[in-house]
Amino acid sequence: MLALIYFIVLAIIAVGSAVCVLLSRHPLYGALSLVVSMVSLAGIYGLLGSPFLGVVQIMVYAGAIMMLLTFVIMVLNGARDSHTPMFDKVSLFVIPAVLVLAGLVGFALVRSPIAFDAATIRGSVAITSKTLFDVAQTGPGYFVLFEVLGVLLLSAMGAAVLLAKKRLGSVDSEKTEGKH
Amino acid sequence: MELQAMYVQILALVIFAIGLIVAVSRRNVFFVLMGVELALNAVNLSFVGFAKTLPAEASIVGQVVPLFSIAVAAAEACVGLAMVILIFRNRESVDADTYSNMKG
Repeated sequence: MLALIYFIVLAIIAVGSAVCVLLSRHPLYGALSLVVSMVSLAGIYGLLGSPFLGVVQIMVYAGAIMMLLTFVIMVLNGARDSHTPMFDKVSLFVIPAVLVLAGLVGFALVRSPIAFDAATIRGSVAITSKTLFDVAQTGPGYFVLFEVLGVLLLSAMGAAVLLAKKRLGSVDSEKTEGKH
Repeated sequence: MELQAMYVQILALVIFAIGLIVAVSRRNVFFVLMGVELALNAVNLSFVGFAKTLPAEASIVGQVVPLFSIAVAAAEACVGLAMVILIFRNRESVDADTYSNMKG
Protein backbone atom coordinates (compact mmCIF):
# COMPACT_ATOMS: atom_id res chain seq x y z
CA MET A 1 0.00 0.00 0.00
CA LEU A 2 2.69 2.44 1.04
CA ALA A 3 4.72 1.49 -2.05
CA LEU A 4 1.72 2.31 -4.23
CA ILE A 5 1.34 5.75 -2.64
CA TYR A 6 5.04 6.51 -3.14
CA PHE A 7 4.80 5.28 -6.72
CA ILE A 8 1.77 7.45 -7.50
CA VAL A 9 3.39 10.56 -6.05
CA LEU A 10 6.65 9.99 -7.95
CA ALA A 11 4.77 9.12 -11.15
CA ILE A 12 2.71 12.31 -10.97
CA ILE A 13 5.89 14.36 -10.49
CA ALA A 14 7.61 12.57 -13.39
CA VAL A 15 4.71 12.92 -15.83
CA GLY A 16 3.97 16.50 -14.76
CA SER A 17 7.53 17.66 -15.31
CA ALA A 18 7.62 15.78 -18.64
CA VAL A 19 4.56 17.79 -19.69
CA CYS A 20 6.41 20.91 -18.51
CA VAL A 21 9.23 19.97 -20.92
CA LEU A 22 6.66 19.76 -23.71
CA LEU A 23 5.03 23.10 -22.95
CA SER A 24 7.86 25.33 -21.73
CA ARG A 25 9.03 28.03 -24.06
CA HIS A 26 12.56 28.65 -22.80
CA PRO A 27 14.92 25.66 -23.21
CA LEU A 28 16.47 26.29 -19.79
CA TYR A 29 13.12 25.82 -18.06
CA GLY A 30 12.66 22.68 -20.11
CA ALA A 31 16.06 21.38 -18.99
CA LEU A 32 15.26 22.05 -15.31
CA SER A 33 11.90 20.24 -15.63
CA LEU A 34 13.75 17.35 -17.23
CA VAL A 35 16.08 17.19 -14.20
CA VAL A 36 13.04 16.96 -11.90
CA SER A 37 11.60 14.18 -14.07
CA MET A 38 14.88 12.23 -13.98
CA VAL A 39 15.26 12.55 -10.21
CA SER A 40 11.74 11.25 -9.63
CA LEU A 41 12.45 8.36 -12.01
CA ALA A 42 15.52 7.61 -9.88
CA GLY A 43 13.18 7.47 -6.89
CA ILE A 44 11.03 4.95 -8.73
CA TYR A 45 14.12 2.83 -9.43
CA GLY A 46 14.88 2.81 -5.72
CA LEU A 47 11.27 1.93 -4.97
CA LEU A 48 11.35 -1.00 -7.39
CA GLY A 49 14.48 -2.34 -5.73
CA SER A 50 17.36 -1.14 -7.89
CA PRO A 51 19.05 1.49 -5.71
CA PHE A 52 22.35 1.34 -7.61
CA LEU A 53 20.59 2.16 -10.87
CA GLY A 54 18.81 5.06 -9.18
CA VAL A 55 22.11 6.50 -7.98
CA VAL A 56 23.65 6.07 -11.45
CA GLN A 57 20.59 7.79 -12.92
CA ILE A 58 21.08 10.79 -10.64
CA MET A 59 24.86 10.94 -11.21
CA VAL A 60 24.97 10.40 -14.97
CA TYR A 61 21.62 11.68 -16.23
CA ALA A 62 20.58 14.40 -13.82
CA GLY A 63 24.19 15.32 -13.13
CA ALA A 64 26.44 14.92 -16.15
CA ILE A 65 24.16 14.89 -19.19
CA MET A 66 21.86 17.66 -18.02
CA MET A 67 24.85 19.75 -16.91
CA LEU A 68 26.24 19.44 -20.44
CA LEU A 69 22.87 20.32 -21.99
CA THR A 70 22.33 23.32 -19.71
CA PHE A 71 25.87 24.52 -20.38
CA VAL A 72 25.37 24.37 -24.16
CA ILE A 73 21.95 26.07 -23.91
CA MET A 74 23.50 28.93 -21.96
CA VAL A 75 26.55 29.20 -24.24
CA LEU A 76 24.55 29.20 -27.47
CA ASN A 77 21.72 31.37 -26.11
CA GLY A 78 19.16 28.71 -26.91
CA ALA A 79 16.21 31.04 -26.36
CA ARG A 80 16.98 33.30 -29.30
CA ASP A 81 14.27 31.75 -31.47
CA SER A 82 11.74 31.51 -28.67
CA HIS A 83 9.36 33.89 -30.43
CA THR A 84 8.78 31.54 -33.35
CA PRO A 85 5.73 29.34 -32.70
CA MET A 86 6.51 26.23 -30.67
CA PHE A 87 4.41 23.94 -32.83
CA ASP A 88 3.68 24.05 -36.54
CA LYS A 89 1.03 22.46 -38.73
CA VAL A 90 2.85 19.12 -38.84
CA SER A 91 2.35 18.82 -35.07
CA LEU A 92 -1.40 18.65 -35.63
CA PHE A 93 -0.86 15.29 -37.30
CA VAL A 94 2.12 14.09 -35.27
CA ILE A 95 0.63 14.48 -31.80
CA PRO A 96 -2.60 12.51 -32.47
CA ALA A 97 -0.54 9.85 -34.25
CA VAL A 98 1.74 9.38 -31.24
CA LEU A 99 -1.26 9.38 -28.88
CA VAL A 100 -3.04 6.72 -30.95
CA LEU A 101 0.15 4.64 -31.03
CA ALA A 102 0.49 4.93 -27.25
CA GLY A 103 -3.16 3.99 -26.86
CA LEU A 104 -2.74 0.87 -28.97
CA VAL A 105 0.41 -0.21 -27.11
CA GLY A 106 -1.28 0.48 -23.79
CA PHE A 107 -4.30 -1.57 -24.84
CA ALA A 108 -2.02 -4.48 -25.70
CA LEU A 109 -0.09 -3.95 -22.46
CA VAL A 110 -3.01 -4.03 -20.03
CA ARG A 111 -4.18 -7.33 -21.50
CA SER A 112 -0.82 -9.05 -21.00
CA PRO A 113 -0.42 -11.05 -17.80
CA ILE A 114 2.69 -9.66 -16.09
CA ALA A 115 3.19 -9.60 -12.35
CA PHE A 116 6.04 -8.94 -9.97
CA ASP A 117 8.02 -12.03 -9.05
CA ALA A 118 8.52 -12.37 -5.32
CA ALA A 119 11.98 -13.95 -5.77
CA THR A 120 13.68 -11.09 -7.63
CA ILE A 121 17.09 -10.06 -6.39
CA ARG A 122 17.45 -6.52 -5.08
CA GLY A 123 19.96 -4.76 -7.37
CA SER A 124 22.21 -3.48 -4.63
CA VAL A 125 25.75 -2.21 -5.23
CA ALA A 126 27.31 -5.51 -4.16
CA ILE A 127 25.18 -7.71 -6.41
CA THR A 128 25.38 -5.39 -9.40
CA SER A 129 29.14 -4.97 -9.22
CA LYS A 130 29.63 -8.69 -8.67
CA THR A 131 27.64 -9.41 -11.85
CA LEU A 132 29.25 -6.62 -13.83
CA PHE A 133 32.85 -7.55 -13.04
CA ASP A 134 32.49 -11.32 -13.05
CA VAL A 135 35.61 -12.28 -15.00
CA ALA A 136 35.06 -16.01 -14.66
CA GLN A 137 35.04 -17.87 -17.94
CA THR A 138 31.59 -19.26 -17.25
CA GLY A 139 30.24 -15.89 -16.12
CA PRO A 140 27.96 -13.54 -18.04
CA GLY A 141 30.89 -11.60 -19.51
CA TYR A 142 29.61 -8.11 -18.88
CA PHE A 143 33.14 -6.88 -18.20
CA VAL A 144 33.93 -7.07 -21.94
CA LEU A 145 30.94 -4.81 -22.64
CA PHE A 146 32.20 -2.53 -19.90
CA GLU A 147 35.59 -2.18 -21.60
CA VAL A 148 33.90 -1.56 -24.96
CA LEU A 149 31.82 1.13 -23.29
CA GLY A 150 34.96 2.84 -22.05
CA VAL A 151 36.31 2.94 -25.62
CA LEU A 152 32.94 4.24 -26.85
CA LEU A 153 32.91 7.08 -24.33
CA LEU A 154 36.51 7.97 -25.17
CA SER A 155 35.75 8.06 -28.90
CA ALA A 156 32.60 10.12 -28.26
CA MET A 157 34.69 12.63 -26.32
CA GLY A 158 37.26 12.79 -29.13
CA ALA A 159 34.53 13.20 -31.73
CA ALA A 160 32.89 15.98 -29.72
CA VAL A 161 36.18 17.87 -29.41
CA LEU A 162 36.90 17.46 -33.13
CA LEU A 163 33.40 18.59 -34.11
CA ALA A 164 33.05 21.54 -31.78
CA LYS A 165 36.49 23.06 -32.27
CA LYS A 166 36.71 25.37 -35.24
CA ARG A 167 39.99 24.45 -36.90
CA LEU A 168 42.35 22.27 -35.00
CA GLY A 169 45.62 23.99 -34.27
CA SER A 170 45.43 26.74 -36.88
CA VAL A 171 46.42 30.31 -36.06
CA ASP A 172 42.97 31.50 -37.14
CA SER A 173 41.17 29.41 -34.56
CA GLU A 174 43.43 30.58 -31.79
CA LYS A 175 42.79 34.21 -32.74
CA THR A 176 39.04 33.90 -32.84
CA GLU A 177 38.84 31.79 -29.73
CA GLY A 178 38.47 34.78 -27.49
CA LYS A 179 35.30 35.92 -29.23
CA HIS A 180 33.34 32.78 -28.48
CA MET B 1 -4.23 -2.37 -3.58
CA GLU B 2 -0.61 -3.18 -4.14
CA LEU B 3 1.88 -1.86 -6.65
CA GLN B 4 1.37 -3.82 -9.86
CA ALA B 5 4.02 -4.44 -12.51
CA MET B 6 1.57 -3.03 -15.04
CA TYR B 7 1.57 0.45 -13.47
CA VAL B 8 5.31 0.78 -14.08
CA GLN B 9 4.88 -0.15 -17.74
CA ILE B 10 1.99 2.29 -18.15
CA LEU B 11 4.10 5.08 -16.63
CA ALA B 12 6.98 4.19 -18.96
CA LEU B 13 4.60 4.26 -21.93
CA VAL B 14 3.22 7.68 -20.96
CA ILE B 15 6.69 9.18 -20.53
CA PHE B 16 7.86 7.61 -23.79
CA ALA B 17 4.88 9.10 -25.64
CA ILE B 18 5.55 12.55 -24.18
CA GLY B 19 9.23 12.25 -25.10
CA LEU B 20 8.35 11.22 -28.65
CA ILE B 21 5.96 14.16 -29.00
CA VAL B 22 8.62 16.57 -27.71
CA ALA B 23 11.25 15.13 -30.06
CA VAL B 24 9.08 15.17 -33.16
CA SER B 25 6.89 18.23 -32.83
CA ARG B 26 8.99 20.88 -31.07
CA ARG B 27 11.07 23.12 -33.33
CA ASN B 28 13.84 24.21 -30.98
CA VAL B 29 16.73 21.78 -31.42
CA PHE B 30 17.42 21.61 -27.68
CA PHE B 31 13.90 20.38 -27.09
CA VAL B 32 14.45 17.71 -29.72
CA LEU B 33 17.50 16.46 -27.77
CA MET B 34 15.59 16.64 -24.48
CA GLY B 35 12.74 14.61 -25.97
CA VAL B 36 15.18 11.90 -26.99
CA GLU B 37 16.59 11.83 -23.46
CA LEU B 38 13.09 11.56 -22.01
CA ALA B 39 12.24 8.63 -24.28
CA LEU B 40 15.51 6.89 -23.31
CA ASN B 41 14.61 7.35 -19.64
CA ALA B 42 11.24 5.72 -20.23
CA VAL B 43 12.91 2.75 -21.91
CA ASN B 44 15.23 2.30 -18.91
CA LEU B 45 12.22 2.37 -16.59
CA SER B 46 10.55 -0.28 -18.73
CA PHE B 47 13.70 -2.44 -18.52
CA VAL B 48 13.70 -2.28 -14.72
CA GLY B 49 9.98 -2.88 -14.52
CA PHE B 50 10.20 -6.01 -16.64
CA ALA B 51 13.30 -7.20 -14.79
CA LYS B 52 11.28 -7.29 -11.58
CA THR B 53 8.86 -9.76 -13.13
CA LEU B 54 11.62 -12.32 -13.67
CA PRO B 55 12.78 -14.88 -11.10
CA ALA B 56 16.00 -14.62 -9.11
CA GLU B 57 19.07 -14.90 -11.37
CA ALA B 58 17.40 -13.59 -14.51
CA SER B 59 16.31 -10.38 -12.80
CA ILE B 60 19.92 -9.19 -12.47
CA VAL B 61 20.23 -8.90 -16.26
CA GLY B 62 17.45 -6.34 -16.49
CA GLN B 63 19.21 -4.21 -13.89
CA VAL B 64 22.64 -4.34 -15.57
CA VAL B 65 21.52 -3.57 -19.12
CA PRO B 66 20.09 -0.11 -18.18
CA LEU B 67 23.56 0.82 -16.90
CA PHE B 68 24.93 0.30 -20.42
CA SER B 69 21.98 2.13 -21.90
CA ILE B 70 22.64 5.12 -19.62
CA ALA B 71 26.31 5.18 -20.64
CA VAL B 72 25.42 5.03 -24.34
CA ALA B 73 22.95 7.88 -23.76
CA ALA B 74 25.80 9.90 -22.24
CA ALA B 75 27.92 9.33 -25.36
CA GLU B 76 24.94 10.23 -27.56
CA ALA B 77 24.32 13.49 -25.70
CA CYS B 78 28.01 14.39 -25.96
CA VAL B 79 28.21 13.90 -29.74
CA GLY B 80 24.73 15.36 -30.32
CA LEU B 81 25.51 18.59 -28.51
CA ALA B 82 28.83 18.91 -30.36
CA MET B 83 26.91 18.59 -33.63
CA VAL B 84 24.44 21.25 -32.47
CA ILE B 85 27.34 23.61 -31.76
CA LEU B 86 28.79 22.85 -35.21
CA ILE B 87 25.50 23.48 -37.07
CA PHE B 88 24.80 26.56 -34.97
CA ARG B 89 28.02 28.14 -36.26
CA ASN B 90 26.79 27.82 -39.84
CA ARG B 91 23.13 28.71 -39.39
CA GLU B 92 23.09 31.07 -36.38
CA SER B 93 19.77 29.59 -35.33
CA VAL B 94 18.42 26.95 -32.97
CA ASP B 95 15.26 26.37 -35.01
CA ALA B 96 15.44 22.84 -36.39
CA ASP B 97 13.51 23.89 -39.52
CA THR B 98 16.46 25.98 -40.67
CA TYR B 99 18.68 22.90 -40.59
CA SER B 100 16.88 21.28 -43.53
CA ASN B 101 19.56 22.22 -46.03
CA MET B 102 22.39 19.71 -45.72
CA LYS B 103 24.95 21.60 -47.77
CA GLY B 104 27.96 22.30 -45.59
